[in-house]
Amino acid sequence: MKLNERSVAHYALSNSPADHRGFLRTWGGPGTPPTPSGTGRRCWFVLKGNLLFSFESREARAPLGLVVLEGCTVELAEAPVPEEFAFTICFNAPGVRPYLLAADGPAAQEAWVKVLSRASFGYMRLVVRELENQLRDARQSLALHRHSSWKAGTSSCKTQPPDQLSRGLENGHTLSRDYSPMGLVEAGGSRPAGRNLAECELQGAASLLGRGQSPVSPETSCFSTLHDWYGQEILELRRGWRQRARGSQLKCEQQDKP
Amino acid sequence: MRYNEKELQALSRQPAELAAELGMRGPKKGSVVKRRLVKLVVNFLFYFRTDEAEPVGALLLEHCRVTQEEPSGFSISFIEDPERKYHFECYSEEQCLEWMGALRRASYEFMRRSLIFYRNEIQKMTGKDPLEQFGISEEARFQLSGLKA
Repeated sequence: MKLNERSVAHYALSNSPADHRGFLRTWGGPGTPPTPSGTGRRCWFVLKGNLLFSFESREARAPLGLVVLEGCTVELAEAPVPEEFAFTICFNAPGVRPYLLAADGPAAQEAWVKVLSRASFGYMRLVVRELENQLRDARQSLALHRHSSWKAGTSSCKTQPPDQLSRGLENGHTLSRDYSPMGLVEAGGSRPAGRNLAECELQGAASLLGRGQSPVSPETSCFSTLHDWYGQEILELRRGWRQRARGSQLKCEQQDKP
Repeated sequence: MRYNEKELQALSRQPAELAAELGMRGPKKGSVVKRRLVKLVVNFLFYFRTDEAEPVGALLLEHCRVTQEEPSGFSISFIEDPERKYHFECYSEEQCLEWMGALRRASYEFMRRSLIFYRNEIQKMTGKDPLEQFGISEEARFQLSGLKA
């Protein structure tokens, strides 16, 4: 079966965030030729998303192997495996033997098992959808609260039960007057000067989320909306950069956005 | 580079986000359009000969760029060689746009950015970290700093 290996290798080596990395000993499985002794081969492993890459060394310029982590479970290795701090990746696929890996110590072993167990695409998708729902609920609560507080002289909210209102107000939070129910973004000029790029990205996205379209919302099926979403994100970023450039001309950094 | 081909083949048999018979043309010069059953499963795009059970190939969709080439056609290329394109022909613009949207959302990187965004927004609004309930709030991949990469 063909695979776009050059692109995969490029992704492995790119500076996209790694979810975990470290040395592990490995026996068989992709990326490792069989070793005559039973001690396994020590390789440098990098986990990105649902992809576990192995390298001969930390400085290697190409990955040795890739394990795609879908349809598998990760467990501490049981006896009679003589290796300390070992764990296995077991696949549901027919005819596939479990991969045995061993860490350098108990903390590393536990960390690897934990992070590999949650590496699947499906897990990530579940978490994203859950947060999407939570954010929608929080916004609705906020909008309802603002709406009810705008009504002159009334202390009751007509249609919503009290617990729905309080959901967005846990911890007795006082809502800032700067929040608009639909925009959820501070006006460009009020951004603190030291705001970093990551937060500016989020601010830009927030203004669009207010319109009910999100990058992963099931309702965002229209391509032109997606296109606008990304376009707006870029506009917001540029506005932020220009403001920062104006604001701090003496110590001005070039932000290189790909 | 070795990879776990058997597991990838098993993955190609899993329920797909989208599947359709499309015209497909490889990136090499002079390649011709072939009918392929194209299947989007997690962050992989599998393509099959229409009468075969095992895929001809797979494309990992991380760091890919999806571009509309014609009203009913799009291409996929990758960041390290943007001119090297895999071309796909749909039966309508509607189908083309549907695929393009799905492919753009199909990467793990995209989901990671979305998750960080939602987490940050919820935290600002409610004062609580929504990831705490999952016990994953400390993981490096969910930190705000991850967006800088």
